[in-house]
Amino acid sequence: MDFQWDAEQQSFRDTVRSFLAANLPPDWEQQAHGPGSESQSAFSKKFCAALAQAGLLVPHWPRRWGGRDADAWTAFILAEEMWAAGEPRGGQYMNVNWIGPVLMRFGSEAQQDRYIPAIARGETIWCQGFSEPEAGSDLASLRTRAEKDGGHYRINGQKIWTSYAGHADTCFLLARTAPGKTGMSVFLVPMDTPGITVRQIPSVIGEGDIHEVFFDDVRVPESALLGAEGQAWEIARAALSLERVGIPRFALASRMLRRAVERLKQEGRYGHGAVEQSARAHAACEAARLYSYQIVDQRRHGTPTGPEASAARYATVMCERLVGEFVVEHLPDALSGGDPLLLAHHQRAIVAGIASGAAEIQLNLIATELLQLPREPR
Amino acid sequence: MDFTLTTDQSALMSALDRLAKPFESKPIDFHGFALAGNGLERELTEGEYFDIAQIPELGPLTAAMAVERLAWLPCTVDTALSMLVRPQLPGDWPRPIAVVENGRPGRFVATAKTVILIDGDQASLAQVGPEDVEPVESLFAYPMGRLKRRPAATALSAEDAAKVRGWLRVALAAEASGLLQAAIASAGEHLSVRKQFGRPLGSFQALRHRMAECTVLAGGVRWLALKAAATGDEADAALAALHAQESATRIAYDLHQMLGAMGMTLEHPLHLWTYRLKALVSELGGRGGQALAVARHAFDA
Repeated sequence: MDFQWDAEQQSFRDTVRSFLAANLPPDWEQQAHGPGSESQSAFSKKFCAALAQAGLLVPHWPRRWGGRDADAWTAFILAEEMWAAGEPRGGQYMNVNWIGPVLMRFGSEAQQDRYIPAIARGETIWCQGFSEPEAGSDLASLRTRAEKDGGHYRINGQKIWTSYAGHADTCFLLARTAPGKTGMSVFLVPMDTPGITVRQIPSVIGEGDIHEVFFDDVRVPESALLGAEGQAWEIARAALSLERVGIPRFALASRMLRRAVERLKQEGRYGHGAVEQSARAHAACEAARLYSYQIVDQRRHGTPTGPEASAARYATVMCERLVGEFVVEHLPDALSGGDPLLLAHHQRAIVAGIASGAAEIQLNLIATELLQLPREPR
Repeated sequence: MDFTLTTDQSALMSALDRLAKPFESKPIDFHGFALAGNGLERELTEGEYFDIAQIPELGPLTAAMAVERLAWLPCTVDTALSMLVRPQLPGDWPRPIAVVENGRPGRFVATAKTVILIDGDQASLAQVGPEDVEPVESLFAYPMGRLKRRPAATALSAEDAAKVRGWLRVALAAEASGLLQAAIASAGEHLSVRKQFGRPLGSFQALRHRMAECTVLAGGVRWLALKAAATGDEADAALAALHAQESATRIAYDLHQMLGAMGMTLEHPLHLWTYRLKALVSELGGRGGQALAVARHAFDA
């Protein structure tokens, strides 16, 4: 066991930081915009293309797809630095974290050739069509259906709270091809297919983040099916296992805590209560960091990640909460025009316990799989 | 960064598992507050386990893992102070080790040969004999004792005092980590077998979620404690101790709540871990003290 970074890891982190310093606009931290906003989406394409040019978009991918087979630590160090900088990759973080890897694992050759190179060049945006009005945590009750129609599927239904849908080129869509959990399938659907309507939902997260997506008689060819019919549960599990410890939220939370404390100190407002609360939040951030590192280390060794990933995720949720509460209580002025970056962080932090599976679902998994407590009767 | 155990660490942990085996259950006829591990202490002494931090292949990190492992046992020995703090004292001081803070009763004082005296910001060391100490009846599940008189003590320099305080925090966090895990496992067992309303208690979501939250907190304590032991950094030590005391405060309360009246009895072992946790929460200035230390190190407060 070793808690130090080796020279190569440290040097990679320095490389990423230098890249950020050279490629983020000088007023980057003053732009308090939503991660899925018009300007952010446009910037992410420019930024990710430059990242790709520098070999920093998908270093952890296989060489065949533009990576260099770097290990899980490289991917996570990259993710930490990007997220701590305010995630200039926008929605494209999702492409490199799990959409690309899932396509490599389950996609046909044609699907891989069609979608993966564009992701590796940093020029495309995806959205994740999972949640529905009647299917959030209970994903298996989804209603959007895909019916076979000759060599096509006809898709009808509605998705909701879909991030990045407003600017997405492709939807990673979950739809029902038969009843039950084994009747769910994944489709790769171009968002310009006739019959798709996207409506933005105004949100506290920021402009352009979440949407309703309607599918009215959307016809896609059979080749849009990812894997086999009924394989969605397996594919979604693979995606979630990468996503559960995907965003290193503790990295930005920790940076924002420090930023808030520095400001309070400068203004002579870092009193006893603030000292105690900031210390607690800092401990929670560092606990979440080490928890997440444990999972990354499992990935690096090729060990399947178990319920510890849920624990890591929940630890991250707790640290986001404590940092958020600290800012609200001690530096509320930051959220009223005082600091756009603290504001943007606070807006995004609400997502921590909700996106990629509600935190309470993680608690259920921990209780059953880690603590071996008896299951709830259904 | 590597979270897997080295071969030496795995071997040591297996040896400790074997050594701990005979001490894993609480004697049926024991209904006291604190269960002193005299037999365990003999085994640890004979196997030279108290010195593992000084072995280069093992070091303080492995010692912290050992402390954590042994804290699972219902009986208790001054493993944390002897394995983690003693090697950091200036000079050679005999064990058992105890700490007396501001003249209050402390853990293991009645059997200690060396006492670390903490008075405000000052720290000093004293060798003591049976004539200097006496046991104290206490609710805390450690053998508690106090000094009968102030022994002749060697004052530590400010630098040494800070270092010792740092390692006391590591010792506290490593021990708390093991206690938290053992207490959660003990409560989990109860929730799996105890039925109410025709179902095991552990199948009620209100309790499952609370237990899961306790587990997440305890896991965080573990990683922070191990990291602090590995780096020997005072900032890491303060963080680990703060998270340990924060988590212990909540978890000790929650677990007793889950056990209901069974947790009030001395026949159930839960109190052996939770009331040790309460003693740890009371040390080194408590949560407020640790928070100040964290803010000093992390935010230059």
